[in-house]
Amino acid sequence: MSETRKLDLAWLALVLLSVVGAGLGGTADDRFRVSVLVALVMAVKLRLVCDNFLELRTATPRIRRLMYAFTHGMPLLVILSSAFGGTLARLTGALVL
Amino acid sequence: MTTAASLLHPTPSAGRIPGNKAMWVGIFCEVTEFALMFAVYFVARAHHPEVFAAGPARLSLLAGTGYTLMLLTSGWCVAHAVHAMRASRQQACLRWLTGALLFGLGYPLIKLIEVRWNLAHGLDGSAGIFVVTYYYLTFNHLIHVFWGLLGLGWVMLRTGTGSYSADDHIGLEAFACYWHTTDIIWLMIFPLFYLLP
Repeated sequence: MSETRKLDLAWLALVLLSVVGAGLGGTADDRFRVSVLVALVMAVKLRLVCDNFLELRTATPRIRRLMYAFTHGMPLLVILSSAFGGTLARLTGALVL
Repeated sequence: MTTAASLLHPTPSAGRIPGNKAMWVGIFCEVTEFALMFAVYFVARAHHPEVFAAGPARLSLLAGTGYTLMLLTSGWCVAHAVHAMRASRQQACLRWLTGALLFGLGYPLIKLIEVRWNLAHGLDGSAGIFVVTYYYLTFNHLIHVFWGLLGLGWVMLRTGTGSYSADDHIGLEAFACYWHTTDIIWLMIFPLFYLLP
């Protein structure tokens, strides 16, 4: 498959995920489950942009690892903050006036 | 074996720096800046979970989805422009960049409409911590989009004047890296404010 064809498929997947993912916002389901779903959709979209648009797969390892740490870390933080929001609030209590 | 497709759209060699080092210094500064702002978001959310859970219903999901589609499509056009330049198709590159500019301009246009809608619905700086955090992150992102649009204008000018070639288009690639990173940050902001319960 040509590189431009891969780009087109990645863009199509990103558009579909964005539209389908937007539907998650209106759901009144269990908050933690919705947070996990939102984080998963975010993770897939970020990976698609990193690999297909930003071409991180061919980038030098230092750039690739730092960007993957950022883009993989964020969805993980979404899930962790949903699961352990109370703990985070206690740990950061002194920061909030 | 060398295929016709690989000759038309040569893939870059592995282990390289996309664009140039200077741009990546800037990109990691941007990433650090937003990482700190995301930290503020998570701390604020941890202290006011109910306010943040009710937040997305106060915003326009249509606007949020609109920004996402505009930026993704603009990024797709930029990626195509880079591939066109690698195949020595300067005119096609310029056409893709023009598409990127048009979709990129959709972002501030939606922002204008959304801010008016927000203010009409009482979402100003005194509307509580969710709205303040939302303005803090999204306006910072808007500033980065403006830088990107200026950069896009510059690479369009350089492309139009024949300054780039298949062998030397580092400036175009560097801009593409910045634009895709701005896109990546929006893909993080969007669910935090418009979707997450």
